[in-house]
Amino acid sequence: MSTTDILNILISEIHECVPELIDQPITAETSMTEIGINSMERAEILIATLEAMDLTVPMTSLHGPKNLGELSELLHAKKSEG
Amino acid sequence: MHQNVGIEAMNLYGGRASLDVHKLAEYRNLEINRFENLLIDEKTVALPCEDPVSFAVNAAKPIIDALSEEEKSRIEMVVTCTESGIDFGKSISTYIHNLLNLPSNCRLFEIKQACYSGAAGLQMALNFLLSGTSPGAKALVITTDISRFALDDKNAVQEWAYSEPTSGAGAVAMLVSDKPDIFRIDPGAYGNHAFEVMDTCRPGPDTEAGDADLSLMAYLDCCNGAYTDYARRVEGADFKKSFQYLCFHTPFGGMVKGAHRHLMRKLYKTPSPEIESDFNERLMPSLAYGRRVGNTAGGGIFVALTGVIDNAPISAPLRIGIFSYGSGCCSEFFSGTVTPDGQKVLAKMNIDQALKKRHLLSMDEYEWLLSGEQTLRFGTKDANISLDNIPGVSSNGTGKNWLVLEGVSDYHREYRWV
Repeated sequence: MSTTDILNILISEIHECVPELIDQPITAETSMTEIGINSMERAEILIATLEAMDLTVPMTSLHGPKNLGELSELLHAKKSEG
Repeated sequence: MHQNVGIEAMNLYGGRASLDVHKLAEYRNLEINRFENLLIDEKTVALPCEDPVSFAVNAAKPIIDALSEEEKSRIEMVVTCTESGIDFGKSISTYIHNLLNLPSNCRLFEIKQACYSGAAGLQMALNFLLSGTSPGAKALVITTDISRFALDDKNAVQEWAYSEPTSGAGAVAMLVSDKPDIFRIDPGAYGNHAFEVMDTCRPGPDTEAGDADLSLMAYLDCCNGAYTDYARRVEGADFKKSFQYLCFHTPFGGMVKGAHRHLMRKLYKTPSPEIESDFNERLMPSLAYGRRVGNTAGGGIFVALTGVIDNAPISAPLRIGIFSYGSGCCSEFFSGTVTPDGQKVLAKMNIDQALKKRHLLSMDEYEWLLSGEQTLRFGTKDANISLDNIPGVSSNGTGKNWLVLEGVSDYHREYRWV
């Protein structure tokens, strides 16, 4: 699973969780906060992404990324750690 | 060892003034449609003549008044649980002990661990009783927290914006004994999960700092970790089947909903519609009072417990699972049972009626309260507080059983009954 695959999962889960963003361009540079996704929704999207990746890590270990690209890279690193 | 221990009596004091948080959201230009997901309607606002001591005593007074002198003489421990302390050394419990005329052979102390303090206090009391060192003893455990984070400067309101609609005030008093009429604890049935994290904190007497994402993440990790530890200790524990109702620490209802959803997916991969109906059935009653007083910090789980016992149909003994989380962080999942008779005991406190009687603040009144005029600051040496011009006080027609703060003399806080 590549970083791009993970980014695509994140974008898909964003659309699932916040359907009103379906027409919003979302890229690796996008910050979920800046496009109006609230903290509950951000957690929901992250949980769904972890499920889709079959990855189990503490949520707090995923705190810090400033945009979806950084988050994808962090998730990719966690998945690689196995 | 006496295994039959728990909460003999309890009461929620939700203050004398409240604010419609939907109006606040409009006033602050917050997004109303998404705001509905917070599952909160009102919050209690502490008046200048109220502090954590008066909140605590007003919660405990009806419980103490209902005791005989002999029963009262067996109160051998008063534990205050708070993150709104009024002194670095002297505990709030010393004031409570005096104002309620409790016996002198009594342990007095205060517990701090953010919103976990109430669970910690209850466990201290329960384990004192379970130790059997003083058969027949009772303990008074009181959670008391108020939020006044906008007092420092004008910018504080802006910084506080993310938590302003949910920051409430309230106190829950619990008489803990070997006569657990309201809530019988399951001895030994608990699980903990703790780790160091800087999610939210109170670095100064009137300031709060935090990271909403990190706090939510820590809460979710703890919900899973504490329940997993509970299930490790309790043979046959099943999150879906063992508890007829659940009470989670409630910063706001939406967070509880998120944690419940997380756990149901993690443990059972439950589909969304089933999660929704399980939430409505097993958790919604716990929000009955929390959505009216706001986040009460250390008392959150007990506000939830009173909500369940007062509002859920209880026709036979049933088990309630409780999850407490305190930033920083420490958490616990534990359980106990309630009965139809226990429901009748709690109903005597008329919590719902007391909440309905609160004065509904206008935005002008609320802004005046936020400005902190007349409000006693941490570390004040001398002050007088007048009841004049305080919103809602005169129009409430105050009775004779309301304790108010009237001033401070040489750092000693002074109270009177009005």
